[in-house]
Amino acid sequence: MSQHAYRLGIDTGGTFTDFILASAGEGIRLYKTPSTPHDPPRAVREGLEQIGADLGCSVADFLRDCDLVILGTTVGVNALIEHKGAKTGLFCTAGHEDSLEIRLGHKEDGHRYDADFPQATMLVPRALRFPVEERVLSTGEVRVPLNEADVRRGIRRFREEGVEAVAISLVWSFLHPEHERRIAELVRAEMPRTYITLSVDLLPQIREYTRTSTTVMNAYIGPLIQQYVERMEGLLRDLGYDNPVRYMQSNGGLTSGRFLADKGIYALNSGPAAGPNAGLFFHDGKEHDGDRPRDIITVDMGGTSFDISLSKDGKTNIVKDVDFLRYRIGIPMLQVETLGAGGGSIAFVNRMGLLQVGPESAGAQPGPATYGQGGQRPTVTDALVVLGYLNQEALLGGRLRIDAEAARRVIAAEIADPLKLDIERAAQGIFTLVNSNMVSGIRRVSIERGYDPRDFMMVVGGGAGPAHAGRLASELGIPTILIPKVSSAFCAFGEILADMKHSYLSSSAVRLDAMDYAHLNDTFAAMEMQGRHDLGSAGVAADAITISRSLDMRYVDQVHECQVDIPLEDLSASNIDAIAEAFHARHEELFTYCERDNAVEIMNLESTVVGKVARPQLPPLASGTPDPAPAQSGERPAFFEENNAFVTTPVYDGAQLLVSNVVVGPAIIEEITTSIVVFPDWQVRLDNPGVYVMTVRE
Amino acid sequence: MAKTDPITLAVVQGMLESTQREMTLTIEKTSRSSVFNIARDYSNALFLGSGEMILQGQDIPIHLGSLMPALRTVAAYFGDDIHPGDVFYHNDPAWSGSHIVDCCMYKPVFYQDELVFWTVSKGHVTDIGGPVPAGYNPEAKEIYAEGLRIPPLKIRDRGVERRDVVNFILTNVRSRRLQAGDMRAQLAAVTIGERNLIGLLEKYGKDMVMACMAELLDLAEHQMRTFISAIPDGTYHGKSVLEDAGHGYGDIEIAATVEIAGDSMAVSLSSPPQIPYFINSYAANSLSGVYLGVMMFAQLPPPYNEGLYRPITVDVGPEGTLTNAKEPAPHANCTTTPSESITDAVRMALEQALPEKAVASWGHSNGLNIAGQDYRSGEEYVSMILATIISGGGASHKTDGWPAVGPQCCFGALTSGDIEILEYQYPIIIHRYGLMTDSGGAGKLRGGSGTHWEVEPLHDPMTVVMFGEGRRYPAQGALGAVSKLCEPKVGRALYYKKDGSVEEIKTNRIAEIEPGERFANQNPGGGGVGDSRERDRDKVLEDVRNGFVSIQAAWEEYGVRIEDDTQRDRPYAVRTQEKYLAGK
Repeated sequence: MSQHAYRLGIDTGGTFTDFILASAGEGIRLYKTPSTPHDPPRAVREGLEQIGADLGCSVADFLRDCDLVILGTTVGVNALIEHKGAKTGLFCTAGHEDSLEIRLGHKEDGHRYDADFPQATMLVPRALRFPVEERVLSTGEVRVPLNEADVRRGIRRFREEGVEAVAISLVWSFLHPEHERRIAELVRAEMPRTYITLSVDLLPQIREYTRTSTTVMNAYIGPLIQQYVERMEGLLRDLGYDNPVRYMQSNGGLTSGRFLADKGIYALNSGPAAGPNAGLFFHDGKEHDGDRPRDIITVDMGGTSFDISLSKDGKTNIVKDVDFLRYRIGIPMLQVETLGAGGGSIAFVNRMGLLQVGPESAGAQPGPATYGQGGQRPTVTDALVVLGYLNQEALLGGRLRIDAEAARRVIAAEIADPLKLDIERAAQGIFTLVNSNMVSGIRRVSIERGYDPRDFMMVVGGGAGPAHAGRLASELGIPTILIPKVSSAFCAFGEILADMKHSYLSSSAVRLDAMDYAHLNDTFAAMEMQGRHDLGSAGVAADAITISRSLDMRYVDQVHECQVDIPLEDLSASNIDAIAEAFHARHEELFTYCERDNAVEIMNLESTVVGKVARPQLPPLASGTPDPAPAQSGERPAFFEENNAFVTTPVYDGAQLLVSNVVVGPAIIEEITTSIVVFPDWQVRLDNPGVYVMTVRE
Repeated sequence: MAKTDPITLAVVQGMLESTQREMTLTIEKTSRSSVFNIARDYSNALFLGSGEMILQGQDIPIHLGSLMPALRTVAAYFGDDIHPGDVFYHNDPAWSGSHIVDCCMYKPVFYQDELVFWTVSKGHVTDIGGPVPAGYNPEAKEIYAEGLRIPPLKIRDRGVERRDVVNFILTNVRSRRLQAGDMRAQLAAVTIGERNLIGLLEKYGKDMVMACMAELLDLAEHQMRTFISAIPDGTYHGKSVLEDAGHGYGDIEIAATVEIAGDSMAVSLSSPPQIPYFINSYAANSLSGVYLGVMMFAQLPPPYNEGLYRPITVDVGPEGTLTNAKEPAPHANCTTTPSESITDAVRMALEQALPEKAVASWGHSNGLNIAGQDYRSGEEYVSMILATIISGGGASHKTDGWPAVGPQCCFGALTSGDIEILEYQYPIIIHRYGLMTDSGGAGKLRGGSGTHWEVEPLHDPMTVVMFGEGRRYPAQGALGAVSKLCEPKVGRALYYKKDGSVEEIKTNRIAEIEPGERFANQNPGGGGVGDSRERDRDKVLEDVRNGFVSIQAAWEEYGVRIEDDTQRDRPYAVRTQEKYLAGK
């Protein structure tokens, strides 16, 4: 075996840590170990040992053959959920120490009349928000110079309080960064080991609340991410690995441990952000007809949640300024819409007497009733068992026993009886409703953002996704579905395909009719120089780096911007009209109209600097004829809405299917970690590089 | 009629909700008036062709009751003259509107030549003409002096804009450009709503969709009846005081009587005769105030439709009284004052009836509009600054009131906007937007803190227009919660003048301030629940540490003595706040 033959992706999820090991010689191998949330390296070590045992070599042996190890982590998310981040103090402009707690004065929709819904827990309580006298105006003019005595008093307080991380976020600081920098200098001098985040470094863009909240979140989770990076790199080094370690970020790209050291928030929600990479890989890799645009909707349905993202022309929507777990975050993240709809989602009859599915989940413990681990409430998985979509005896290649009777019992008691339905109809109802929730989530990232889902292919991940995909696609009019054989480790797979990607942000509010071209061009140039430097020092070759630019634009007097991609050339009078036109078109696409005769302004600039990472080469799968009969492993009754009855349905063993085999619905394909339901209107063909291509039946 | 099944019903309900959400998103992202796009002071709703509301979003309660009579009034006015492609527009309270700055657009949705739905989008516009920018004229003695009254109007006729009518409206308002942008945003919203509803009809067929609509209304009705059934039968009384905020007519008492009989509720209001000051409430607006009082107790989760209100009859009092005003009563302030006092009266009555669900009152609105000339563009600007009315929320049995989430009439639906965005839009400096010590009502569960918003104009003088009340009586607590230190819990304005003096203002006034001067609006906190002496001691200490409660209040209101040397640990914010209070 040649050196550097492997690429290893490790994704730490809530329930499982997934490992994908890919090589040109051996293809893709998938491993899973139970996650260890309070000690993530433990699960990684255990997984590596499992891989070693499987390959018949030592961990050091195969790690030496890896060219890259890529990590996706939930350390940041967990700290936010459990409120176990670093003890954080905030320096802010006097008079504005409460923006974090005022939260723009809004209570989340869905809780309008819920009197007991509690306020969001403050990451920095008021006693640790320290106002300093200083003020910069919207013009950039310094109205009040920095009062350093205030800063020193604050530092004293923070030391007394045992503050571990300091966030610094001042009003209009990005127009005059000197005050934040001076505060940081003073803090560093007196608290040398303290983690410090400056808003001007992390998010130099307009919106004080968003910037402060993002800065605080980074200070709060940053030390944990830093510690995670050190421990993982230490572990891998100790195990004999000495090639680069990369980390998945929420923006869908990789970065180095050094970059994350002071911008940990970029790794906040990294797993789901890997989905689009995986989706595009299968879209591009399959032997499809013609040059379909790279327009895909990626869905990932696991045990507790359903993640959706949309990629247009191979690019995934980026969002900024959104609430994440009740905290406002402003750095660019791939738009991943997450619903509480997974295999473990609980079905119940609500107060209005309507069937409802989720968002509550039975989780890993007790899990669905059908797992026989004490679950007493019906879940989506239980419905799938009743409908005959899942194996009636065992899953995970025999490792997980199925109790089909338990599934029927809980659905009868909780759903069928109260609604006066028979059990199958109740199970079908759970299935239909969770599908409908997922469809409405997909509408949110497509139709609500101006995209017609019928123009997209759907790529399906997650262990639970492949049973639902056909119904979702029918509902949305999506003609083609791609289901990778590795769908249950979709994120880890996406991670090994990702490129390095850094986002650089700046703010410059200016109307198109009053442009200072030199200033904008200089700003772009400076951001991009920084980007080349950052990627270069992480070992990315100069010729592997590409850059793209965008502007956040709006009509004067609007307060929300549209992000518009612009060409990589200096802004000037000769291309500004084309840029304005791109904005009008985007506005019309999103909101049904545009206003070509109204003034347009730019609010923010962004450069994305990408370092291309060579993708692992995968060997082709064995191929055969269209006839799938040799792979048929049996048959069982399954319920289909079209027939309104159970019909005898052939079951195929995915491991035996060959490229070019065509399975016509109704049928079920069982892979070890997932089951694919081919609905009566659909057919599916196995294709390279290990993807089922499901299309409407010919 | 087609027979529904529970599954289709749930799916159809979900599609109604996503339609309403798409309409809301469109308004938020594209509108121009900052009251729309920053503050989210709007509501989008779906109605049946017959005029029953089939979905209201989780938008602001001010519009809870007023959308229903308004749609029916507009539909009745046009009668047979309603065609595909028509769009209607309206604001007038005598024609069932709320107040004239809330302009509403209505689009009939036809399917197979039949009027099947209406899509409706209502929002608070920047300005509506009249003598005072932004539409709140405390000097108005009659509604005719408040601004442009728009009775039901057709602004698009069979798909073609009626340019003369739209131009007439835009010509009468100060911020023509913004208003035109807002009308386009509303048109986009009702059009997107129409598109989705037609999709729904095509997918399930009209019969099935209509059967689902009927059933969804019945289900909501059932839910409200279940709530009412849990209340012991009887007659309950509640009263609130609407304070004299400078009009000179004295404090006004508003009383509510709630009669519970089985699963039905009858609410009747009584109030003194209307007065020539802008706090009269026409019928539709009073209905909103009543419904909010009921919803505070019913605490029902979404979705909301008109079925909820079927079991409730409301008598807003004899025509010509404050809560059932008639022309020519001025009314611009009605959505806040007296709406919040109406809600309080209903809440007090229900607290007698259902103490185990009692929640405290939220802080009432008192805020500022600003207007002036923007030196950067040379254009006039005018805006209601909703950040100035963000008061404290009331406590419940389980949780302290939220800070900065009010006022009561909006119930957390507003957003106050980012201070940098406001400073970018207007030539102002916002010196402070923060929470106030001791402003939350005392109680076992404490009321949420009110806010202090302080502004200075840049370059040129600025007009500030005060509105609202809640400057003398703190938000009412529930179940024995009483505040002893009332002064920090009420609203006020503070005028920091050039000569260094500070004037405290508690009555509505119009002032002109210059660069170098500041004007602060302080908003009241919310009420507490239960006896403050029973509050957990550690929570009191934590409140003191965080500056929500002063050492003095810890002792006087909570009976917790704190050594004075903890003073040095108190944040700068608290001392700043004390400075403001000391300066008055």
